[in-house]
Amino acid sequence: MNVGDERVAVDLPDADPAAVVDAVEGEDEVPWSGGRIDLPEPGPLHDRLNPVEPGLSVSVRSALAAAARSRGLEAPQDDEIRRVEAELSGVDPEPVDAERARRRAAEAGDREAELSERVAELRGRVRAREAAGLDAGDARERLSAAAGDLAETRTERLAAEQLLDRTRERARCQRDLRERRLRLEDRLGNLEREARAHLAAVLWDEFRDAVAAVPGDGRAGANPGSFEGDPVTAALAVFRVGDPEVPAVLACGRFSDAETAAEVLDAPVIRVEG
Amino acid sequence: MLLVVTYSRTARQTLRNVCSAHGDTVVRRFGRAALFEATEFGAFLALRMRERHGEDVQVERTEPLNEYRDTPESVREAARAYEEEAHDNTPYAKFASGTDHPDPDSMRAESI
Repeated sequence: MNVGDERVAVDLPDADPAAVVDAVEGEDEVPWSGGRIDLPEPGPLHDRLNPVEPGLSVSVRSALAAAARSRGLEAPQDDEIRRVEAELSGVDPEPVDAERARRRAAEAGDREAELSERVAELRGRVRAREAAGLDAGDARERLSAAAGDLAETRTERLAAEQLLDRTRERARCQRDLRERRLRLEDRLGNLEREARAHLAAVLWDEFRDAVAAVPGDGRAGANPGSFEGDPVTAALAVFRVGDPEVPAVLACGRFSDAETAAEVLDAPVIRVEG
Repeated sequence: MLLVVTYSRTARQTLRNVCSAHGDTVVRRFGRAALFEATEFGAFLALRMRERHGEDVQVERTEPLNEYRDTPESVREAARAYEEEAHDNTPYAKFASGTDHPDPDSMRAESI
């Protein structure tokens, strides 16, 4: 990122790294001594590496792939990735509210069981009164009312079960779509992983040189992805290899000033170490 | 038992986590599905997954099949005969035609 012809190299010794990262990500401008500058959208390098501070966790392969993307490099998997993404965007399973249908069926079943018990109880009472030669008129009336309720509830329960069956049928069709979506997502994940491995391999020699060029401990092996040492060193080397859209936010104590850091990393820099 | 099937990457990951954290309740795991014990705790684990992932989690209740209780003898006999008597590449429909064994469509039409 350049302001006019000048690369951003800013020291903010008293700033909080997290606050600077927030500002870099925000739609707001970044305030620092000397002015405010509109920043482009942060890219994957920023997402993975900023702020560069002790304790940072870096997947070297993924970070290096992000560096490759920041330079506009493409992977052989890109066409297929775009194709799978397009296919994926067309797979859109509809929500099926099976929960409501399940609840309705369960509640109707409970009501029916309750009423069924009540009818049996009233029937017993009618019989008992008749057997004892007592007037059963009242009890018979209540029995008939409860039996009517029971018939109605049974109809409701059957309707609820039919609805549940239909809902399950629909859910099953939608699950075919969900399964297809999952397969596409897995395919996309594999392609993206392959693309990252490819891009990391393309930049690996540059990365090894960069590890030697930036300050700090670290050694990159011959095989892409093999790195031993302080992750901060790896992050700095990735910034040096990449072409970051927004400044590297450095809180790692590796540089005496922002100018030097920007020179070594060949990248815009905000240095927040006092 | 409770059959829990997942339909998204995040739901599958949650299932993995649940399976490794609650091995005593997980009877068996198959890729993106698993069988949980039919206990309140098994149901609790399944329902929590459904809360988190909605319809990307399917929960079914399974029961063992007792063929002597749940299927007619004609079906059991057909299965035995097909396995023992048919050549490996004979389709069942062809094997059954002209015999007393039930044809596949009639079996499809009968629920058990």
